Amino acid sequence: MIRNIKLYFSFLVASLKRMMEYRVDCIVGMVSQIAFQIIELVFIWIIFQTTDNIADWSFEHLLLLYGVMMLSISVTDLLFDSTYDIGKRLIRKGKFDTILLRPVHPLISVLGESETSTALGYMILSVILIVSMLIKLQVSVTLFLILKILYFGILGGFIIGGIQTIFSITGFWTYKSNEVVWSVFQLHKLAEYPIEIYNKFIRILITIILPFAFASYYPTLDYLGLNESNLIFIVPLIVIVIWIIAINVWNWALKKYRSTGS
Amino acid sequence: MAIIEVKNLVKKYKISEKEHGIIGYIKHLFHPKYKEHIAVNNISFSIEEGELVGYIGENGAGKSTTIKMLTGLLTPTSGNVVVNGIIPNEERIKNNKQIGAVLGQKTQLWWDLPVIESFELIKKMYEIPNEQYEKNLKKFTEILDLEDLLDKQVKNLSLGQKMRCEIAATFLHNPKVVYLDEPTIGLDILVKENIRKFIKDINKERKTTVILTTHDLKDIEEVCDRIILIDKGTIIYDGDKENFKNIYGKHTMIEFIVKNKNVNITLETSEEEFEVIDESDKNIKIKFNHDKFTVMDIVKLISNYCEILDIHIQEEGLEEILKEIYRGEIIDD
Repeated sequence: MIRNIKLYFSFLVASLKRMMEYRVDCIVGMVSQIAFQIIELVFIWIIFQTTDNIADWSFEHLLLLYGVMMLSISVTDLLFDSTYDIGKRLIRKGKFDTILLRPVHPLISVLGESETSTALGYMILSVILIVSMLIKLQVSVTLFLILKILYFGILGGFIIGGIQTIFSITGFWTYKSNEVVWSVFQLHKLAEYPIEIYNKFIRILITIILPFAFASYYPTLDYLGLNESNLIFIVPLIVIVIWIIAINVWNWALKKYRSTGS
Repeated sequence: MAIIEVKNLVKKYKISEKEHGIIGYIKHLFHPKYKEHIAVNNISFSIEEGELVGYIGENGAGKSTTIKMLTGLLTPTSGNVVVNGIIPNEERIKNNKQIGAVLGQKTQLWWDLPVIESFELIKKMYEIPNEQYEKNLKKFTEILDLEDLLDKQVKNLSLGQKMRCEIAATFLHNPKVVYLDEPTIGLDILVKENIRKFIKDINKERKTTVILTTHDLKDIEEVCDRIILIDKGTIIYDGDKENFKNIYGKHTMIEFIVKNKNVNITLETSEEEFEVIDESDKNIKIKFNHDKFTVMDIVKLISNYCEILDIHIQEEGLEEILKEIYRGEIIDD
């Protein structure tokens, strides 16, 4: 286990080095992501031109929630981005065979291939949003709060990354499309709004089935002092459960894949 | 004990049966039909430590499928594979530590990193001790002439340079068994020579078992001692390389340099036994079955037509023999 985690970071460092090789790609990716996010923020702003709150959440609260989700997404992008399109990138081209021949669990190799230039853009923007909104909402920014933001940000990244990894196995069979992973991933957008606005079904969906809300909504409540439950322990538990499922689902898919061949 | 033991190995694939045209594809989408294809049909062999085996056969004969099962990439439909006491399919990662593999054009190196960084990652993956790593790196750099390549990115290397690095990467962790699937495809003669020499050197020094599949039979001629020939999923020959030539190489080529030739050469016999391959005023090339005729027979025959200046005799090479086997001239099924 420790060996695998060490290797994962070695692979990740290699990926980052690769990313640095493409400086222009890197900068363009970052800038375009920031631009894209700003457009989304403009939409939220437009909504608030007609109303001054959504389920008792003000514009500032919503921006804070958005920033918290973005921080989690940036961690997902940085650490787990590469499961996103394994079918297209690895399996169809036969590159997966070389990964299977390594003396390492293939999931470690695949995850270690993450090379995204968008993570940095997200991260910068999310930090700006979170800090400015906390100040605007007159929440006192203590060291403990900063550590909590980092803690939940990282774990949120693990939640979203884990969900993505579970659904990434569809890539073993759908070589040309990653629509399934993409659609599931897009559901995180639901958790960019307070869950009070949703009906029971969607609430269950984003808190229990695909617990995206633990990467944004619940931590935000905590930062605002509105949370009574013991989130510091619940979130890592969720992470562990998701990743146990992810690893098992992957092992099952690998077994299937190896029995049919390419 | 044999290092590789293969017993009654079978691999069946399901392949989809589509009717032609777009309608056929749509039909298939809703009502898929499959047909069974037997890629490897009940093969058995065992390989001793240190053997250099050429695994040959036509495209689609089942070579790659066998290699994939030996490496644990593919689960056999039935039968057993044991490599150095490990069942590759069940203990894949443990098996991966003791083997090395080059799979055609698929690179195990990191495409946009300098070669040396890929080597460092491999060192970490296989937990190669420092001393061994340094020693191997120094040695491989020397034999494969990698000095100027190590700091270059893989994507900037030529095909031959890339393959040399690939081969080095494969042997860095002192694997017990190495599978080389088409390692010389598309390479120039000098690089091929270089790689062949490397394989032979390492085999001699470490008793590394090597299984080589290739379409370039020069590779087999120069590297391998043993041949396993697979055709339509079945092994049709397994044994010594020289013996293979003796059994299947029924023809000898003979080339004459002549003068004063004025008639065309004819002989009342089948093409299988005697064939004039090339004929001009100064040059005659004949292929004959050496069970039917001796070299003296042919020389006498030709001397009836013209004056012989020089003779060049050549035994049939692997390539010619295999061509005949593939055409079905030697073994019928």
